[in-house]
Amino acid sequence: MIGLLLRRFTLRHWRSAPRSTALQILILALGIAVFFSIRLANRAAVGSFQNFTGLLSQSSDWQINATAGELPASVLGELRLAMGDKPLEIVPVLETTAVLANTNKIGEHIGARATYHLLGLDLVAVQNLASADDNDRTWFNQQSGATNYTGGNRFWQLLSQTNSVFISPALAKTLHLNLGDHLPVVVDENVVNLEIAGIIPTSPARPQPPENLLVMDLPALQTIGHREGKLDRVEFVVPDGPHADLRRSELRAKIAALGQGRWQVFSPADRRASAATMTRAFRMNLTILSLIGLLVGLYLIFQSLDGAVVRRREEIGVLRSLGITEKTIRRVWLLEAALLGLISGVLGALLGWGGAQFAVRFVGRTVNALYYATTVQFAQLDLTEFSIAVALAVAASLVAGWWPARQAARIPPAQILSRHAASQERHTVLHSAGLGFALLAIGAALIFLPPLRFSGALRFPLGGYASALALIVGGGILCGHLLRRIAKALRFTGQYSLAAKLATSHLMQTSSRHRLAVAGLLCAITMAAGMLILVSSFETTMRGWISNTFQADLYIRSDGAQNPSTQNRISPATWHTIATNPMVADANVMQSAAIEIGGVSTMFVGVDMGFSQRHPNLTWRQPPLDDKIYDPAQNEHLALISESFSDRFRVRRGDSITIPTPAGNKQLTIAGVFSDYGNERGALLVDRRHFAAWYGDELATSLILFTRPDVAPDAVQSDLEAQFPGLSIMTNRYLRTEILRVFRQTFSVTYALELIGIIVAVIGLGMTLSSILLDRRAELTTLRALGWRRHEMARATAVEGALLSLCGVIGGIVVSLGLGWILIYIINKQSFGWTLQFAIPWLALAALGLLVIATGTVVAYFVGRWGSGLPADREE
Amino acid sequence: MKISKSHRLSRRQVGRVTPCAPPTANQRVQKTKTCLLLLCLVSSILLLVSVPALADTPTHTPDGFALPQSGHAFSFPRDHGSHDDFKIEWWYITGHLFGDDGRRFGFQATFFRSAASPTDQTLANNPGFGHEKLFLAHMALLDVKSGNFIHQQRLNRDGWDAFSATNGLDVRNSNWSLRMTDTNRETMDLHGSFGNETSLQLELQPRKPLVIFGQNSVSRKAADPSAASYYLTFPRLQATGEVRLDAGTNHVHGEAWMDHEISSSQLGTEQAGWDWCCLQFKDGREIMAYRMRRKDGTQDPYSTLAWVSTNDIITHLPSTELKMETVCTWKSPVTGAVYPVSIRLQTRDPQSNQPVSFLLEPLADNQELAGNGGPVYWEGACRIRDEAGKELGSAFLELTGYDGNLQKSLR
Repeated sequence: MIGLLLRRFTLRHWRSAPRSTALQILILALGIAVFFSIRLANRAAVGSFQNFTGLLSQSSDWQINATAGELPASVLGELRLAMGDKPLEIVPVLETTAVLANTNKIGEHIGARATYHLLGLDLVAVQNLASADDNDRTWFNQQSGATNYTGGNRFWQLLSQTNSVFISPALAKTLHLNLGDHLPVVVDENVVNLEIAGIIPTSPARPQPPENLLVMDLPALQTIGHREGKLDRVEFVVPDGPHADLRRSELRAKIAALGQGRWQVFSPADRRASAATMTRAFRMNLTILSLIGLLVGLYLIFQSLDGAVVRRREEIGVLRSLGITEKTIRRVWLLEAALLGLISGVLGALLGWGGAQFAVRFVGRTVNALYYATTVQFAQLDLTEFSIAVALAVAASLVAGWWPARQAARIPPAQILSRHAASQERHTVLHSAGLGFALLAIGAALIFLPPLRFSGALRFPLGGYASALALIVGGGILCGHLLRRIAKALRFTGQYSLAAKLATSHLMQTSSRHRLAVAGLLCAITMAAGMLILVSSFETTMRGWISNTFQADLYIRSDGAQNPSTQNRISPATWHTIATNPMVADANVMQSAAIEIGGVSTMFVGVDMGFSQRHPNLTWRQPPLDDKIYDPAQNEHLALISESFSDRFRVRRGDSITIPTPAGNKQLTIAGVFSDYGNERGALLVDRRHFAAWYGDELATSLILFTRPDVAPDAVQSDLEAQFPGLSIMTNRYLRTEILRVFRQTFSVTYALELIGIIVAVIGLGMTLSSILLDRRAELTTLRALGWRRHEMARATAVEGALLSLCGVIGGIVVSLGLGWILIYIINKQSFGWTLQFAIPWLALAALGLLVIATGTVVAYFVGRWGSGLPADREE
Repeated sequence: MKISKSHRLSRRQVGRVTPCAPPTANQRVQKTKTCLLLLCLVSSILLLVSVPALADTPTHTPDGFALPQSGHAFSFPRDHGSHDDFKIEWWYITGHLFGDDGRRFGFQATFFRSAASPTDQTLANNPGFGHEKLFLAHMALLDVKSGNFIHQQRLNRDGWDAFSATNGLDVRNSNWSLRMTDTNRETMDLHGSFGNETSLQLELQPRKPLVIFGQNSVSRKAADPSAASYYLTFPRLQATGEVRLDAGTNHVHGEAWMDHEISSSQLGTEQAGWDWCCLQFKDGREIMAYRMRRKDGTQDPYSTLAWVSTNDIITHLPSTELKMETVCTWKSPVTGAVYPVSIRLQTRDPQSNQPVSFLLEPLADNQELAGNGGPVYWEGACRIRDEAGKELGSAFLELTGYDGNLQKSLR
């Protein structure tokens, strides 16, 4: 029965109005596409983080990392001894990053050069790991001419060279590199001329090595990275066999016990999860932002299904009188909605897959700039994500279709009410100002909810998002009332123009459609304007912070440090030379290490605290109460923390916190909290003297210089650049510009997402007007009979559209102030821990409003032109 | 190419050769991967040649390695350890084991050391990850009843996971190790494993004292005076310990043979391969013999055979008193190489001064070490029978250069 009804009822209508059906599907598909593309791009960016050793050999069963700092190579012998004759591959790994050396750095952006992962493995031992499926994989027989040199001179030469590197097949192709070619890269402060010793052996059974992977023999990397005797981690592989799992758990427990306090054991899944955690807040916010289009689309689906109920009222009445039950009618409607959702979902997913290829570059770029190096270029179609997208489309469609289905089912048999009467029927939900105010009140109450906290210090501002949703829906409902007021206020214009008179009189009788169109517009505008307010506030805050923080003349770091995950450092000899240069007046040497406190990653930084006193460069959230923190003799147990750190670890000034260091756990008292918009993981600052003592080295991450007043910083810059080609020496102006550029780049995708929301809303406005005109066929026929010309009728519709847009814009901007406030003080603060200063970009908001009104009017005009020719008896 | 020619010749020489039983289906080969150090193995047998020492032996090779010197006085336990001034060194144990339930095993455990030329070493050596020495190790285990033959390879640089001590016998390669635990009794401990489920743990106790093959401490291998080695052998070790298989642990006992060779010599180009064997007779005597196969199919005059009497007296016999005749062949399904896995060894018994003939009969045809990227050879546990079929003892037979890749690998 339902099948028959679907065919005779739903599908017949779809066929008779293919364009509006297609438009409905397209709008929902667009919403889904945006969501899906962001999800795929996020997934690709997270997936690009991996343990590269898994690509070269068997995947490790687990690995150990030092509790703080590096592992000494001496742990290897200790581990082997402790494991006795148990079969276990112990794989030491050293990792660093490198970028291609560039002799001409003028005008180059930070992060412009790709970061390469330089992986150090024992290339002799790693061959013991390769399994039977890759018999022809080999590292050492690749030199041109000879087929092998087993134990020959070439082998020994390779083993004792410190610049032999193996590259991925992809890189060989991209850079046209052959065996024996040279590849100059920057590692730490040095330009190292690597020699291509071969291609990383690949196997069809394993994923291809990523293009940015460079592999070196471990001791060679220790030498060029100045990390003799150090390891980043040790991986373990237990040979397969029937009892391998038993052995794995037995050995893992033994290794964990052996390393008590010195190292921690992780599985590869643990490491991936922790990398994913790093970007989770960013990805989650992007995903929610990507739902704008879908939310706006929901209004339209609701509206069009509701319109269909009105149009098919008589038909439903006939069906009901033929004995078809309410339940069946409701089911058919819901099925129609689901079908619509299904088609839109599949189409949206396909569109989104295409869109993801663009989105992935954006996400990759942001992850690169803010988190760790990735080279993701392509987003794979993922079945789970596909299912989620389709399910979301169907669910959204059902939600939007629920009310119309109910209405349809309630149509009494032998429906004889006129169309006019039908369209007058009120949707109590949408017309209830009380509900609107109630939603606003709920929204206001929700902002007091604390964020949900998950492992890895992830905070999810559920209250903030729910509050935003309540605000938008509530605002949409109240906006319908505004529409009537505006129409009333503008009634006087009827004296001058018939079109205006007609439009205002229509709007005085605000229909549900009008209300829905306005609510959809309001939703899109609110979100767009809310984001504009957030970005503007962020930028204002950033500018203030930058001008306060970056006051020094020159900023120096390794040229290899192109993103935050870099491990490139400056040696003490070099920074001593620079700091004591006669042209330098004052220098701040910074050391840093990524650490984990209770499984949550953050940055541990050593700075010259006295420098911050001499050149106040911190913006305080909680300033220190006395000067002890600036005095190395008194600050050994004191630390400063960034605001994000304070939020993540829930500590404030006066609290104490235990930090793992290579010299054991240190208990530090927090002397103050400062603003830092450069790092959402948070940072903990101590005096560099203590940091160096605890870490046992003086390798600097960066160097900040004030030059003497009588010398030009540019002169010092070119001087130092000539002296240290492996360093990147940035002037104050360059650094400030770059930080703002990276910041704007980070928000670029949000503009695209907002634009899509607005496009959907304007299309929705057009659809609303066209279905309103369909309802008014009788009236249009009368107007024609009265001698109205086509353009006059179009003008009347244009005025109606303009007023609807105006109403949406006014309501949207008003609501967006509230949304902006929630975004800044609740959602952003709870997700990232940054306090921003509220700034309203009036100009941008005005431009947005005008744009919406203009496009709304134009679209309405064309709909009006089309409507003016409608015959009185045409069904749709 | 030249190999196949010599192969044809050798087959013609032996006349009618019948294949042994067809290959068994239940071969299990555990593969690990490498591509190094064929040199060691090739050299190992070339060095076994013992001919009277010549005068004027150089003290060092042109690339700076030490050479064996006539009249060298060994000092133990130090000389059981590593001799890092020589290019190549190995500790090579083969043996036969019997479980309490009568289950029989053959095993091989080999630890090689190979050094880079001192003149090439310009960089300081990293103590954890050396670039001056490499350690290759092979282990193989034959379960005679099932015919299962498993073998594995380890290759590591000198450092934290592989080393050879210089003050006594203590060699390690990953989780495999060979150590002298009691220097007075010369007791040794051997640990090995294959994959996750199979392992070997033996205590080795000399039943006969160490013998030194060659003349005046030096075992010559060719006309070139630098082609020589120090060749130290425990011809009979009592082995006790356990073999752990998937199914469970077998307490085992049996006898083993251990070679320790030290050399710096380079290869001759005229050899195509060799057939080496060690025989342990029930009467308490042993034979060590090898035949160098030249590319023209003939037996190299540096081939030799040595008897060790019950009271440890060594009698070296020249190439002319050694004949190895193929009884039947086995074709490897992995490499396609055809090995003379059963041979008839004809020589003279110095005790009776009569010609004697021994038949070496493999305990399983498939005892080929192949597929791990390293050198391909056959190293198999055998029974010794006389012409009447009576079992006289146990032997190990080593066959190299049959896969046609030996010369290619060496070039």
